[in-house]
Amino acid sequence: MKVEVLFPEVCNLYGDLMNVEYLKRSAGGFDVIETSLKSEPYFASNDDVSLIYMGTMTESAQELVLKALRPYKERIESLIDAGKIFLITGNALEIFGEYIENEDGSRIECLGIFKTHAVRKMLERYNSLYVGKFAEDMDIVGFKSQFTHSYGEFDELFKTVRGDGLNPDTKSEGIKKNNFFATYIIGPILVLNPPFTVFLLRLMGLENKTAAYEEAAMDVYNHRLEEFMQPTRGLTY
Amino acid sequence: MSKVRFLFALWASKLSIPVMKLTGHNATNYPGQIAINICPDFLKYIGKPEHIISVTGTNGKTTVNNMIVDMFEASGKKILSNRAGSNTRTGITTALIKGANLSGKAKFDTAVFETDERSALRIFPFVKPEYILITNLFRDSIMRNGHPEFISSILTKNIPATSKLILNGDDLISCLTAPDNKRVYFGIDKLDTDLTECINLINDIRICPKCQGKLEYDYLRYHHIGRAHCVDCGFSSPEYDYHGFNIDHEGHTVTIADKNGSGVYEIVNDSIFNIYNMVSIVALFREMGYSHDQLAEYMKKAKVVESRYKLVEENGVKIITQLAKEKNALAISRAFDYVRELPGEKTVMLMMNCLYDEQHWSENTCWMYDCDFEFLNDDLVKEIVVSGPRARDYRLRLLFAGVDDSKIKVCMDELDGARTISLIKGGSVCVFHGVDSFDITQEVRKVLVERAGKLS
Repeated sequence: MKVEVLFPEVCNLYGDLMNVEYLKRSAGGFDVIETSLKSEPYFASNDDVSLIYMGTMTESAQELVLKALRPYKERIESLIDAGKIFLITGNALEIFGEYIENEDGSRIECLGIFKTHAVRKMLERYNSLYVGKFAEDMDIVGFKSQFTHSYGEFDELFKTVRGDGLNPDTKSEGIKKNNFFATYIIGPILVLNPPFTVFLLRLMGLENKTAAYEEAAMDVYNHRLEEFMQPTRGLTY
Repeated sequence: MSKVRFLFALWASKLSIPVMKLTGHNATNYPGQIAINICPDFLKYIGKPEHIISVTGTNGKTTVNNMIVDMFEASGKKILSNRAGSNTRTGITTALIKGANLSGKAKFDTAVFETDERSALRIFPFVKPEYILITNLFRDSIMRNGHPEFISSILTKNIPATSKLILNGDDLISCLTAPDNKRVYFGIDKLDTDLTECINLINDIRICPKCQGKLEYDYLRYHHIGRAHCVDCGFSSPEYDYHGFNIDHEGHTVTIADKNGSGVYEIVNDSIFNIYNMVSIVALFREMGYSHDQLAEYMKKAKVVESRYKLVEENGVKIITQLAKEKNALAISRAFDYVRELPGEKTVMLMMNCLYDEQHWSENTCWMYDCDFEFLNDDLVKEIVVSGPRARDYRLRLLFAGVDDSKIKVCMDELDGARTISLIKGGSVCVFHGVDSFDITQEVRKVLVERAGKLS
């Protein structure tokens, strides 16, 4: 089994890369293919990758990543349509939208796979705790910390229970199409959400696996969920 | 009208200082807030010393700032500083209010200001330092600072064109900041302990900043600190103008040299981080014309702030309390690494919870997965007690780091943790705390000292 991590040399903020390590330990091991900015993505000419991961990056790195992925836009679209599993966290989500708008009105053209766009405000960092639902009944907890919000038409990944969705005017968080999962939640989302980790493992064909360090991870998950649901708990920093 | 409003703001804020002191407050921040509330342009009008030194960066700026102040005082020079207060706009404004007479004219000719790097955009348009010392630029609070490239861009946009920069030549992020400003670089020569591959989770310069080619490190100390070159375009780290070498851990000395001479300096604290601090300070003072002989004497008077690192030895047990700034993955990694290097068996207590966040929201714990908890997975670390609101998260992260669950004790209350943790005669107990937990750390230390004293 192979998992491809896109551009870990730049897409590595906020502990995001630990998601793949956690998935690997939960799966009992798989091959991790690390694709660098100057090499051809493994998915470009191979079908045997089980999951493609890309994490949070700096604003300048977004432009490097776009340059690296632009030649493979159609391939990415066909993989999404075919049900390939993608896990995309933080501002990596914006790469798949139409454009990112800077404060001066200038735009960075993105892949245009989804009808969304991001608006950047570098001096208005948005911080929030997050609680949502995945597939009706699975609780998701996490953290958001970003310079942007996204707008447009999209099918949600998570239905927000507490916090905001892709922007403060929506409760729809993340983008989902078939097995493409993108969320603004940053950091070790899989470590913090063992049920979602198990869901991904099953989607990858690993039916009988449990999340690594299950007892401790579930203890943290349950406690955090209870904490974030307290009505008096502030959500947005 | 502006002048009248400025004077009113000055007098009101000056009046607030004795009033606040009478009511038991430090008056290190609020007077500046009053002044800015009354006169938003206050910082523009208040008199400034002729020579201003700003110390900024991610880690070490308080230590460096305070050591510079200590050294000026050792030289017999009276200077203005924000040592006792805040490093944001209101803190620096407060210091300037205290350093001005009733007409707003500066009473000092030199000031040293620790300057919050995120606040540069509100300070540097009005306070134009002659020298700006940037200790380093690393990842810091995810919520406030985002990433170091963002902080570097804030500094680049706001550092006055006339300021001369004292930069860490081993930190490429600092080196790339404000590229048009005059600058000198400091660094530490290759050490026996240096590597060529990064062993830390955080390394924010993995590719060439010019061509995005592979960056190779000639030597790498920690994270992205070291000397690098690009295999594709030839880009490389700058040459040092001031460099430390011959670090003698037994004799507690380091030699610091520049093109005009060298000096042997007593090491204030033997962590590599503090040796960087020393070299940066010598670089600054040498730029101002001081001799190595003078500086070696002044350096003896410089102290690392006790609240950041304290070692008490009681009945054969070393009790170490170490500031591990909450939510700062890099600072905590450095603290873990320092303790890992300590000889002998040790037990560890983790209590660097962000108590402020817990009062209002909940601490964003993503930093834990950027932080090298793996350094605590060491045979000489016999037990780890995790305490406070994030104790469960620490436990999970330690398991992730490969620490055996049998070594981990969860004590939600910090004082219970201090009463529980094993003390090893001839060994160390290391307590990692945050800024928010200074007060409880004093109590934890007291409990540990009492317990150590009763060991047979």
